[in-house]
Amino acid sequence: MASLSLKRPTRPRALISLVPMIDVMLILLVFFMVTSTYLNLDMIPAARRGDADTAPQSSGDSAGSAGTVLIRLGADGVPVSRGRALSATELDQMLRTRLAEEPLTQVLLLPSGAARTQSLVSVMDIATRAGAVRLRVVRLEARP
Amino acid sequence: MKLARRTRPEPSETIIALIDVVFFLLVFFMLIGRMDATAPFDVAPPEALTGTDMPAGGITLAVSPEGALALDGVEIAREALGDTLQRWLDKDADLRLRVNAHRDAELRHVLPLVGMAEAMGVPDVVLVVTPPGSE
Repeated sequence: MASLSLKRPTRPRALISLVPMIDVMLILLVFFMVTSTYLNLDMIPAARRGDADTAPQSSGDSAGSAGTVLIRLGADGVPVSRGRALSATELDQMLRTRLAEEPLTQVLLLPSGAARTQSLVSVMDIATRAGAVRLRVVRLEARP
Repeated sequence: MKLARRTRPEPSETIIALIDVVFFLLVFFMLIGRMDATAPFDVAPPEALTGTDMPAGGITLAVSPEGALALDGVEIAREALGDTLQRWLDKDADLRLRVNAHRDAELRHVLPLVGMAEAMGVPDVVLVVTPPGSE
C-alpha cells in the first residue's frame, strides 16, 4: 500500500536579522520622544528688512495721506485712543470703522514699558483681525 | 561524538507587527515634534489668533517674566547679547531671530531687544505666540 506524505515547505531563513533593526528603531523612537517639544507655536512678525523702506517718510506722500491711528497701551494693558480707554470690542469697532473709510490707515502702537507682552500681542491681534495692513509698534527711547 | 546543533526557534509572525508599530510611532514623533533648545526657565508665549506657522531655522531668544535672557537654551547676560548676535549675523546674513517672550514679561524687557536686533541688521525678527487653548 502506497503512503502519501505531504511535506510542509520550509521557509527560507531571513538573510538579515531583524533584531538589530528593531533595536535601532527603538533607540531612535525614545530619542525623538525625549528630545522633541510638542508645543503648538506660531509667530507674528516684529521687524523685517524692508519695513523701514515702506514706512512713510513724510506726510506728503500717498501712504502718509491715508491717516494714522495712534493707540497707547497703558501699564495696565488697557488701550487708549484719543484720550479714551477702550475695551477690546470698542477698539475693534473703532479700527474697523477707520479701516473701512481708509484701508491704508496706519496703526501705531505706543506701549508703556510696564505693560505685559500679552497685552501688546492682544492689541496687535485685534488690529490684524480688523484688517490693519500697516501696523507698527513704536517706543520712546531716552536721549543718550 | 557528534553534537547536534541546536535549532533556533523561528521568530513568530508578531515581530512584524511590532516593527510596524514602532516604525509608525517613530515617524509620528519625528513629524509632530520640534527639536528646539529649551530655555533654562519656564516660558509661556502670549496667545494670539492671527499667528502664522513658524518656519524652521534661526535662533531663539527666550525672555523670562523677570527679564532674564536665554539664547538657544543657554542663559546669556543682556550686555553680552549684542556681541553674540553679531557673531551669528556674520555667519548667516539671513538670520531669523525668534523672540520667545513670556506673556507676563514687561515690554521694557522685550521691545529694546527687538529694536537692538533691528538696528544691528537682523533681517527677520519674529515674536513667538501660541494659539489660544493650545496648552
